[in-house]
Amino acid sequence: MPKAPNLLQGTLDLLILHALQRGSLHGYAIAQTIHLLSDEVLKVEEGSLYPALYRLELDGAISATWGLSENNRKAKYYQITRKGRKALEEQNQNWTRLSSAVQRVLSRES
Amino acid sequence: MRHFFLKLFRRRKLEQDLETELAFHREMGGNLGNTTLIKEQAFDLWRFTTLENLWRDVVYGIRGLRRHPSLVATALISLTLGIGANTALFSLGVEFLLSEPTVTDGRSLVYIRFNGNSHADRKSFDMALDSHVFADIVGEHEESFVNYNNGVETRPIFSTFTTKNFFTTLGIPMQQGRGYSVSDPDQVVVLHHHFWTQHFNADPNIVGKSITLDGRPYTVLGILPRNFRTLVGFGFSPDVYVPAFLENTYLAVYARMKPGMNLSQAQAASDAIAKRIDETRPAAQRDQHPSALVDAVSGIDRLKGEQVLVLAAFFLVLLILAGLVLLIACANVASLLLARASTRQREIAVRLSLGASRARLMQQLLVESLLLSLTGAACGLGLAQLLNNALSHMTAPTPIPMRLTAESDWRVTLYAMLLSIVATVACGLLPAWQCVRESFTHDTRSTARMFLRRAVVVGQVAVSIVVLSTGFLFVRNLLRTSSLSPGFDLQHTLQSQVNLPPANYKEQTKIALFADRAVNALAALPGVEAAAAARIIPFTDSTTYGSSLYFNGKDQPLHARFNWNAITPAYFQAMSIPLVAGRTFLQSDATAPELPVIVSTGFVKQYLQVQPAAAVDQTFYWGEPVRTATGAQPSQRRAFRIIGVAANTKNMTIGESESPQLYEFLPTIRDVRDRLRFVVKSATPPATQLKAVDEALRRVEPNAGIETRTMFASIGFAFLPSQIGAAVLGSMGVLGLLLAMIGLYGVMAYSVARRTPEIGVRMAIGASASSIFKLILSDAGRMVALGAAIGIVIALLATRPLASFLVDGLPPHDPVTFLAVLVVFAITAALASLGPARRATAIDPMSCLRHD
Repeated sequence: MPKAPNLLQGTLDLLILHALQRGSLHGYAIAQTIHLLSDEVLKVEEGSLYPALYRLELDGAISATWGLSENNRKAKYYQITRKGRKALEEQNQNWTRLSSAVQRVLSRES
Repeated sequence: MRHFFLKLFRRRKLEQDLETELAFHREMGGNLGNTTLIKEQAFDLWRFTTLENLWRDVVYGIRGLRRHPSLVATALISLTLGIGANTALFSLGVEFLLSEPTVTDGRSLVYIRFNGNSHADRKSFDMALDSHVFADIVGEHEESFVNYNNGVETRPIFSTFTTKNFFTTLGIPMQQGRGYSVSDPDQVVVLHHHFWTQHFNADPNIVGKSITLDGRPYTVLGILPRNFRTLVGFGFSPDVYVPAFLENTYLAVYARMKPGMNLSQAQAASDAIAKRIDETRPAAQRDQHPSALVDAVSGIDRLKGEQVLVLAAFFLVLLILAGLVLLIACANVASLLLARASTRQREIAVRLSLGASRARLMQQLLVESLLLSLTGAACGLGLAQLLNNALSHMTAPTPIPMRLTAESDWRVTLYAMLLSIVATVACGLLPAWQCVRESFTHDTRSTARMFLRRAVVVGQVAVSIVVLSTGFLFVRNLLRTSSLSPGFDLQHTLQSQVNLPPANYKEQTKIALFADRAVNALAALPGVEAAAAARIIPFTDSTTYGSSLYFNGKDQPLHARFNWNAITPAYFQAMSIPLVAGRTFLQSDATAPELPVIVSTGFVKQYLQVQPAAAVDQTFYWGEPVRTATGAQPSQRRAFRIIGVAANTKNMTIGESESPQLYEFLPTIRDVRDRLRFVVKSATPPATQLKAVDEALRRVEPNAGIETRTMFASIGFAFLPSQIGAAVLGSMGVLGLLLAMIGLYGVMAYSVARRTPEIGVRMAIGASASSIFKLILSDAGRMVALGAAIGIVIALLATRPLASFLVDGLPPHDPVTFLAVLVVFAITAALASLGPARRATAIDPMSCLRHD
């Protein structure tokens, strides 16, 4: 019973899934990855990161396992699932369509 | 949904995980912000919140209710009685109407009536069996008696004769031993559980032993389980099953369909058999359209036919009335909760302003009433079980043994659950809605709530008028029934049922001889005023004939339907039935050329349309003239002469209207039957003569099965339907009245409390105590009058289907009933509002005015 994600939430999901594409990461690393990949423009609010992670996990787009972090701490690692990859692809297309449409609107004079 | 339950069980683990993860994040240098919010969002996501809220509501509800023990007690008593009565009635109805026979694969069984006859003779049965269209066919003769000798005395017991394949073909489970099969000898018997426990103290070693039936040893092969249900259904349960090996046993035909066969195929096959059976008969007796009636044995298809429909209608009416009583009970609880809601006004307002959603508050209030009604349903189910247990140990005092083993199965539990949900909504929705809605509209709240409570009372009054008038109708029915005379003496008479050993009594002359000797022996007993033999005692059995009578040599027949009996001369004297004209039988009548008969006044009135005295000496032929090639041969018909006219008696039900009756002289009848009844009129109380009568009959025929009871005990069941109806419906009416009055009292008391300042002002400016009294009473009067008016209209419509349960001359819209109900209601309503009205007049105007 997933809630209909609004644009921002949807974008966060997209970013999380994208970050996880290359391998499993823990929550902090996901936030860092997004931060770095956006050339430090996007800063993921932790307050929305974890709920988003739990929702994605509940939806089955990602799965989680407990492992040891680089500094030998117990940490929860998230992996993207096949369902997640499919969702990623779909959301990616949606995003491209949406952003280019917005771009088109903004680039023309009214 | 799966996630939901999975998470539910792993909740603690999830919470810990969350903590660890967030701690790790913090350690890595992340800034979390509002940790609690994250947790709450996650919990929301995992749907713990809904559940936790529910649980919190339950705890809160229990705590809240604990503070109002009197409210809880009143509500629980109301709901327990309401739900208990409903559930008990429902389980009884389910057992009576919907219970399936205890057989294997009942769906493939059909009951076949060839040419509409409930029982087929042996030849027809064998023809059906030989046709091989069905997988197998069994036959049973339900209403048979055998004489059981327990070593001390012989008593007739109720047996069912069946074909030997009965148990194997039907696949009837056994508690112990086995059912008989085709390879068994004739003299074997299967005991019903109740017979086994009553007569053999549930002896576990009885199987294999022999018992004495009809003077011969029968080997006990098996014992049926306690909850064994017969093919006939309706609680019918004979004492024993015996193979029907006698040549002249008529059998009800049950067939097991072949796999894949459906009802219409069975119908076609049975029609074909009926045709073949018909072809074997003499031409004169042939049917125009030979056919068979095929009915399902199990499932809802069993419930066909007028009798069953009447019963089903009766149960339905009972259920509806019980449902109405529950509704009144719910209205009371609603009224209580409504009153309680006013005390939580502030709480609700605060919570609403703090941002609680209305739905959330409604949920909480509804949980409270759900708690009440679930507890009520549990108690009610217990009550129903108690009632049913008490009932299953009783045998209905009917001539045919009936035992109902009602059990609380899934249907009953489901029904109770459904009732509790209905009760929750009925009790809780209105107060909850009112409570939440009101909180913003401060100025109108009081009026609105008062209006609502008054509406509830008006509804209650209307519903209880319906219940009460139905109850009253049945009480009046009972009174009317008890005052009705059956047409013969119940108080000073005894009756014996005598089953002669069949082997020794094959001719009518022998039976008549026995009757003669027995009557003489009985008449010689001290204290006995008269004794007679009869084939039938009214109410315990009935034989009706529909025959063509050719009166006074006329060619045109009179098609008459009448109750038949065969008696010895002193019958009318023993039963105290007055002879209106003519005389009773004489011994010399046995050899008269025209056979003597006595008819009832009803017979004369309906068929002869003359004065009783003019009916005497009229003659008639009974039956169609036998036509041969040479034409009519009247000499082959039997000629009868009316020698007397007796007053009418009732035959089947106490409430029936006069039906025609015809008595033959016992020695002259051709129909041989080894079952006889004796009636004895005693000058001493009949109960003191039981033993003497029993012994006198035993001396005449030691091998007979004899059962002697007082007339009152043996036909008491005739009063049973009206007694049950009056008891059940009457008590429901009283219960409904009581509940409605509690509701009225509560509302009036509340209204007086609310109007205290107003009344104080009125008194201060000169209103007298009596005018205040009148004011309050008229307020109550208006509510009751409106409710009563609505109730009477509904009751007039609702009691209409009850007409068939009422005795003759008592219409369902009986004005006396409705008048009485109104009077009773007015009095109780006055009593209920008297207290509050008195309190109103006692208000001190000064303290009132100062208070404001």
